[in-house]
Amino acid sequence: MNRKIERVIKRVLLYFAVIIILISVLIPFIWMLSGSFKTRLEIQASDSKISGKEPSWIPRKFTLDNYRTVNKEVKILDYFKNSIIISLGTMFFSVIIAILAAYSVSRFSFLGRTTYSVAVLSTQMFPGILFLIPYFVMFIWIRRTIGLPMRNTYWGMIFTYTSFALPFSIWMLRGYFNTIPREIDEQAQIDGCTKVGALFRVIIPLAKPGIAAVGIYGFIMAWNEVLFASVLTGNETTTVAIGILRYITAQEARWGGMMAACLLVSLPVLIFFTVLQKQIVSGLVAGATKG
Amino acid sequence: MENIRKKLSLITQIKKNRIAYYLLVPALICMILVHIIPMSWGFFISFIDLDIYTITNWSNAPFIGISNYLEGLNVYSPTGGRFLRSLWNITYYGIVVISFGYLIGLGVALILNQNFLGRTIVRGLILLPYIIPDSVAYSVWRFMFQARIGIVNKYLLSWGFISEPKVWLVGDKSIYAVMLASIWKGWPFTCLILLAGLQTIPFELYDAAKIDGASTWQQFRFITFPLLMPITTVLLLLSVLWNFNAFNQFYVMLGTDPGIAADVPSTLILREAFNSFHYGIGAAMSVVLLVVMLIFTVFYIKKIRTGETVQ
Repeated sequence: MNRKIERVIKRVLLYFAVIIILISVLIPFIWMLSGSFKTRLEIQASDSKISGKEPSWIPRKFTLDNYRTVNKEVKILDYFKNSIIISLGTMFFSVIIAILAAYSVSRFSFLGRTTYSVAVLSTQMFPGILFLIPYFVMFIWIRRTIGLPMRNTYWGMIFTYTSFALPFSIWMLRGYFNTIPREIDEQAQIDGCTKVGALFRVIIPLAKPGIAAVGIYGFIMAWNEVLFASVLTGNETTTVAIGILRYITAQEARWGGMMAACLLVSLPVLIFFTVLQKQIVSGLVAGATKG
Repeated sequence: MENIRKKLSLITQIKKNRIAYYLLVPALICMILVHIIPMSWGFFISFIDLDIYTITNWSNAPFIGISNYLEGLNVYSPTGGRFLRSLWNITYYGIVVISFGYLIGLGVALILNQNFLGRTIVRGLILLPYIIPDSVAYSVWRFMFQARIGIVNKYLLSWGFISEPKVWLVGDKSIYAVMLASIWKGWPFTCLILLAGLQTIPFELYDAAKIDGASTWQQFRFITFPLLMPITTVLLLLSVLWNFNAFNQFYVMLGTDPGIAADVPSTLILREAFNSFHYGIGAAMSVVLLVVMLIFTVFYIKKIRTGETVQ
């Protein structure tokens, strides 16, 4: 009897803890949603000191204006287009380059493999700010000597993000390729495939989930990046990560619009994650902890 | 196989693996252009006086030796003082965020490792903070921390912790607001990795401990915790490296100039280079930061390559 009561109490405590965890995770999301449905007047007039006017979770007057006018003062849809182009480009190039490099590191024991692996691991760790100044100077230099514009161009950003996504992508994919038994591609070679042929006919079809995870990683990385975007993009290439900050200016604070934009900007990432949760999670765990 | 390979001369070995090098070429080009050249260039820039006038023709900028470093690390100059303060700020920030993040992550991982209804859904939901874009998450926190219209002060007032709405995002206390938001955003990743670690611990160990009459605490203390140690080390090193890079949370919540009390190396270097146009000093500060990071990176790579982490 005593045992039973103890078990029940333990269960109740467990569910209680789970609920607390969920609430603390979800609070900012609820605040974001609620803010996006409030009128500008309600947000501006709310005051935590005056009773009856405190900021509330449920909008006093429910409105869709923030969504309707989300593109009016801040051109968030243009930024959306820029981000989609840059992120898809990054995804495309980083997947192709990472597949080639990961196959090389996973299947060949070439001279310099260890050096290369360590180099890949360490570049992934260096702070972006280290590269930013020389990178900026390099962009200006390329523009002046070759006449090729780099700053404020799609391909300049795609190139930048591809290169930054590569170390982790290569590392993640290498781990994935390592789990595919060598016997399979050796068999393919006996059957008359070349080493490169084995990559395309055998390894890539088997590693589809891993490749998807790497692609999503590249997309999300480019979608979320702030530091380089804040310096290297201009009016024509502003990404959403920078764009949503423009709702708050020195003159005006459009919190409602910002919250609506926040929701829109999170959507692609949330959709990708829901669809491919398993692959992304296993990829993240392996990428961070496996040597 | 191993023996034959050793007998092959260096050149034949390289020739034999030529395809391996071809496959690496695109990745190597990216790495050289984006990592190696800028890093060496940055090292070079840190020794020249590069400013708004010389930026378009950097080769003509005067070579000034270690002056940039002296300026950047001099406690008595305004720039140097702020840089050293920013190093302290990021250390303080890192210690708080990493330790709380780890404790919360571990606690939640232990809870979620048990069987209960809706476990899969909860495990997906707790990852939400980690996956949404940084600028979204920190914008929402910035809204929540607003003095008059934010939700944080509302509760602090109604629970009686403060009597006047507090201005969180300006001044001394701003770093704490950023810390809270960063902990919220960061612990799910820790939790995810620790959960993966927990799942590798064999059940039999707990069964055996229960037969020997070990309490829940003893099971944690003598089985769970020691077996999580390797992954904890990797995780902490990774967190140190990532938190030293912290930029987004400060930039989004506090702007380009977070004030002395919340200034971190990333925001300071960005301003020094792109607002004050002292590219040389900015580059010198970056190199100092790199040296600090290198120490941790070496530890991380050593740990991760010895293969004592979860397989």
